[in-house]
Amino acid sequence: MYKAVVIGGSAGSFQVITKILSSLPKNFPLPVLLCLHRLKHVRSGFVEALSIKSTIPILEPYDKETIKPGKGYLAPSNYHMYVELNKRIALSTEEPVNHSRPSIDLTFETAAQAYRDKLVGIILSGANRDGAYGLKKLKQSGGLAIVQDPNECQVKTMTEASLKQTTVDHIFTTEQIISFLLKLK
Amino acid sequence: MNRYELGIVDTRNIIKTLQDVYNYDFKNYALTFFKRRVERVILNHNLKDAEGFINKIENDRAFFEIFLQEMCVENTEMFRDPSLWRVFKEDIFPKNVQDAVNFKIWFPEVSSGEELYSTAIILKKLNLHKNVQFIASSISELDIEKTKKGIFDSKKTEVNDANFKRIFSESELSDFYTIENDNAHWDTSLIENTKFIKQNIIFDDYPKGIKLILFRNQMIYYNQILQERFMKIIYNCLVPGGHLIIGNNEKVEYWNSDKDYTLINKTESIYKKKLS
Repeated sequence: MYKAVVIGGSAGSFQVITKILSSLPKNFPLPVLLCLHRLKHVRSGFVEALSIKSTIPILEPYDKETIKPGKGYLAPSNYHMYVELNKRIALSTEEPVNHSRPSIDLTFETAAQAYRDKLVGIILSGANRDGAYGLKKLKQSGGLAIVQDPNECQVKTMTEASLKQTTVDHIFTTEQIISFLLKLK
Repeated sequence: MNRYELGIVDTRNIIKTLQDVYNYDFKNYALTFFKRRVERVILNHNLKDAEGFINKIENDRAFFEIFLQEMCVENTEMFRDPSLWRVFKEDIFPKNVQDAVNFKIWFPEVSSGEELYSTAIILKKLNLHKNVQFIASSISELDIEKTKKGIFDSKKTEVNDANFKRIFSESELSDFYTIENDNAHWDTSLIENTKFIKQNIIFDDYPKGIKLILFRNQMIYYNQILQERFMKIIYNCLVPGGHLIIGNNEKVEYWNSDKDYTLINKTESIYKKKLS
């Protein structure tokens, strides 16, 4: 019943993301949109690092690329990543939001507009407030909002900011996030 | 805080107004982007909603120009992706501009001018600037004026300088700009050889005999229909063997243009138009 998963993370999220991506089945039925804060001057290496353990292919999408199930789409460095209503990726070099480009808020907000109640959004560990507004929009559009348990986060600012703005559906540990995703069809 | 959100019907009405009143056709802009920019204008100018926006823009030509500038996304910085500019400096420019006369370089959407000034500075450092003519188009008259005057955002100084150091480790970008109070200015003699063209969304008239086109991260704001239209024009403007540079995450295959070009540098998205 869900059509996509969108995940936002920053400081302290890399290991969590790696663990999640290594636990998904090869034929995971949904696309996974990843907006992770990253160094803007390091264009290469990140997608490779995520790919090492991931069971699904991870790619940095081209502008207007069609989103397909069973693939991970990582927001490229120094670009915002939007989802168009026709389920294509659109990239943008507009000004940073919350000092971030890519901005988690923008990926979440546009994904929520495109997928409405067919979207699962997950906010992970991070050191700023990016993602809180996006998760709120996702919830308002009928999506399912999940936040990593702040007690488990290396840096809890981002998850706490999200929890302050949104009554989320679940506060999950990494293990719980994984078992939840494994149940998606 | 809840931002004002533009609905689909409102968006269509706005696009229709811009078409009817000013003959600018935005319907083939990427929808997410267009919506977001209009929402921003509504917020920044206290226009409340779509109706407020339409009332204002219908009767206010100056405001329409402000809107057009808003639709031209500023270049993020000077020398974005320093590795591309190193390829220009070490390979493309020495090889192609050295013995050229009137080597034409076109910026189909010059927006805030960083790509133009970055190119000019590299050529100046190589002492090849006299061999080149720049052509800079924009849908925004305000951006053209700003670029001519060399005005830029002083907040970007730090990232600009750092990028420049990655290309010319021995020299300082500050040789080319001055900052007084909060005003930052490029040395405008860098762009003496520039012809500016104010254009509508798609060109009525476009330059010919272009040797190199720098068009990075601008077509991402269009949908595929408009992207393909631009690619046709670009193809006609560019001489055989001429270079086309697009953004890292753009791809000519998406516009059915892969047969027309050879990809000569994948990392930096540098294409060369085939000879026939």
